[in-house]
Amino acid sequence: MRSSSSTLLAEPGRPAAGLSLVRRRLTDGLSLVRLAAWLAVAALVLVPFGSMIVLAGTEHLATLFEGDVVEAGLNSLVSSLASALGAVLVGGALALIIERTDIPGKGALRLFAFSPMLVPPFVGAISWVGLAGPASPVNRWWREQFGEPLWSVYGADGVIMLLIVHSYPIAMLIITAALRRVPADLEQAARIAGASAPRAMLTVTVPLLRGAVLSAFTLTAVSNLADFGIPSILGTPERFTTLSTLVYRYIQSGTVDDPLAVVATIGVVLLAVALLALVLDVLIGRTSVELDASASPAEPLPLGRWRPAAAVLSWGGVLAITLLPLLALLEQSLLPAPGVPLTPETITTDSIERALTASGTITGAVTSIWLAGLAAVICTVIGLVIGTLVTRTRARDNRALHTLAIMPQAIPGLVIAVAWLVIAPRIGLFNTPWLILVAYVTSFLALVVQSVHAPLSATPLTAEEAARVSGASRGRALLDISLRMAMPAAIGGGVLVALTAVRELTLSALLLSPGSQTLGVVIFSLQQGGGSNAASALALIVTVVGLAGLGLAAPRRR
Amino acid sequence: MATVSLDRIDVRFPDGTVGLREISLDVRDGEFVALVGPSGSGKTTLLRAVAGFLRPAAGSIDIDGTVVAGAGGFIEPEHRGLGMVFQQHAVWPHWNVGRNVEYPLRMQRVPKARRAALTTAALERVGLGGYERRDPATLSGGQRQRVALARALVAEPRVLLLDEALSALDEPLRDRLRLELQALTRELDLTVIHVTHDRDEALALADRVVMLDGGRIVQVGAPEDLVERPASAAVARFLSDAALVEGCLDAEGFAAYNHPLRLPASAVAGARGAVTLAVLPEAIAIEPGDDAVVTSSLYGRDGSDVVLDWAGLSVRCRSRAHRPSVGDRMRVVVDRAIAYPAADVSAARPLAESVAA
Repeated sequence: MRSSSSTLLAEPGRPAAGLSLVRRRLTDGLSLVRLAAWLAVAALVLVPFGSMIVLAGTEHLATLFEGDVVEAGLNSLVSSLASALGAVLVGGALALIIERTDIPGKGALRLFAFSPMLVPPFVGAISWVGLAGPASPVNRWWREQFGEPLWSVYGADGVIMLLIVHSYPIAMLIITAALRRVPADLEQAARIAGASAPRAMLTVTVPLLRGAVLSAFTLTAVSNLADFGIPSILGTPERFTTLSTLVYRYIQSGTVDDPLAVVATIGVVLLAVALLALVLDVLIGRTSVELDASASPAEPLPLGRWRPAAAVLSWGGVLAITLLPLLALLEQSLLPAPGVPLTPETITTDSIERALTASGTITGAVTSIWLAGLAAVICTVIGLVIGTLVTRTRARDNRALHTLAIMPQAIPGLVIAVAWLVIAPRIGLFNTPWLILVAYVTSFLALVVQSVHAPLSATPLTAEEAARVSGASRGRALLDISLRMAMPAAIGGGVLVALTAVRELTLSALLLSPGSQTLGVVIFSLQQGGGSNAASALALIVTVVGLAGLGLAAPRRR
Repeated sequence: MATVSLDRIDVRFPDGTVGLREISLDVRDGEFVALVGPSGSGKTTLLRAVAGFLRPAAGSIDIDGTVVAGAGGFIEPEHRGLGMVFQQHAVWPHWNVGRNVEYPLRMQRVPKARRAALTTAALERVGLGGYERRDPATLSGGQRQRVALARALVAEPRVLLLDEALSALDEPLRDRLRLELQALTRELDLTVIHVTHDRDEALALADRVVMLDGGRIVQVGAPEDLVERPASAAVARFLSDAALVEGCLDAEGFAAYNHPLRLPASAVAGARGAVTLAVLPEAIAIEPGDDAVVTSSLYGRDGSDVVLDWAGLSVRCRSRAHRPSVGDRMRVVVDRAIAYPAADVSAARPLAESVAA
């Protein structure tokens, strides 16, 4: 199917015995749909990022070298690199242990290990304050014994640790996927050739994961470069400023002249870093080796006498970073104020009540739900069309369309927020909730495009060709075959968008306008305003509801 | 039930490589034509040009007297009135069997009751009566391919295009569907163009076989023509596993360069002078002796398929009498051969020039 060309149009009036010589118009259904998809991507991606680049210009480049910005930049860089390294180490080790050894309780361990991905980072930060903040039970007890707290989660080390906790599942996901693509017979061949089981794993499988490891590192480094929730909750009290918290401060309090231009300049630098990482990732992917599919399942590596120790270590570690913070969150929710010891007498539902009845909570929940719902619907429609076009038709612009549509996934939310902030006054969205909506759509469109792309690119294009031969036009084949096949995946992606957006903080906090406080912002404000028990209670409720929602959505995504 | 004629078709791919060059072919009404050739020879490209998925850069395609591609215009695949079966069946997973099969009728706006009747008939014809409500995911590979065939036939296409339609199936099933396909197409008197990489399948099914190489037609003819009178050394090698020997042929007979093979002139058909000699397996007999060493000996129903190393030349033959073992020394007896002009080894020349024998 080549794209249309006007020179081959049929001559009207030519006699056609038994066949109707149908004229191909340049405006056939497919071309219109493609045009609409391009317009949507232009409006959602090209225009905001373009105007951010234009506004940034070059006149504010000097501000990048001012003390505040340099310090924040260094802090961001160090925390992102350190946390990416940690995430790859933790994620890689867990992937190998779970996928390729006989550790007990694999399925449950995998589920627990992935769970931090389902908890919004700022909620994780709040729960760790309950677990290892200065007023937490552990630190209080330690101070009573030794005069000073054991370890406070506030500060650079806490920020890095929390970034690791919330990004290692991504690394684990990437490395697990790569691990499953390594055919088991490669290791079996090494065994036959005389290598021991651990040696076969270390010399055959692990080297083949290099591409995935590098890819996981760049991805987590970029996404951690501009995380907002964790550094603002854990870093700010210790004056550990990162670029994202700096930008937030500039926008909120206007401590610099022309704050929009300054943050646009910072945004452009971050955008450049993100795009560079994206290019790197593509280059890494290109140099990776090609693997054949293998039918035989991998034989798990027997841990032998190390099995109990390995089990205790991995289960203990995973539970400590997943279950313990949630328990701390629960404990905080049941206490009236921070620092009060948990005894049967002090348990109260006051905080939960306060959280649920606070005036902001209900409106925040309503705002979040309609914003997330609307974003999900829009993303589903646009993502369905783009995902279908790029996987089910042949056209030269498919790759560009796909790349542009999924690019925002690799760009920090901070940059997306700044880009929309820059263009908002010009399109009349300044200080309206719609600004948050369009930013959500930009940010999460990739979720739907990717969930359509993955299953559909495996089906050969003959599905549509069979429809064409059966008498369907291009547009009709797209409607009857391609879109219909893509629909379940797109809806699954849309549910994911809704569940992600409803608990979002970065975009919502930076694009905050009167009357558009989302749930995330309500929790964040409660935490910042000293109501940390109410914040914990609300965070717990949102997390539990969110996990339940994901659990319900999971079977549909298959 | 229609004719297909191609007139000097050229196809070029977007990257500039040539897919087809000056293809001219007339498929008669009700004829079963098989396209064969090594991979990359252009056989699938030719089929896709007939279907309308590729636009020829030059030349014209004519179905039943109507130009579907060429200077006069271009008719999209959906308006060509064809049926097509793909290698990977392409049965739509989101619809049940009945919905899949009736789709071409829907496109023609056939009323519902008639659609149902035609669908039932088409499914019965391929041996899947009563399968209308089945989910394609619950069918076996062979059943899915039958669904695809029913879908291709339901609207009574003018031409049936088969793109490696049987190649993805297991051997016993492929054999059965081959028989059914022939019975069905003869019963319906269908014009069929069948692309396959399976040489025996092409020879077995087709009225005429078209052999392509390098984007050109190298020979068109009845199966026995291609087997007994290959148009070039390349055709003989591809279709019949002929051994090719360089040498000189004159009134005295044939003498190979650097090889002991000598043949009297009466045993050699074809060109004179510097030639490439094609020796078909059927023209070779072996007996105990000292000329050649057996390098492989595969059992077959009608004789063993024996490959020998004969003074550096690999020759293939069928031995009905007994099955030699690998390493046995044998004497090779060649009783006839076909000679082609010497330059003809890679032979990707148009048909007209290469009618040699």
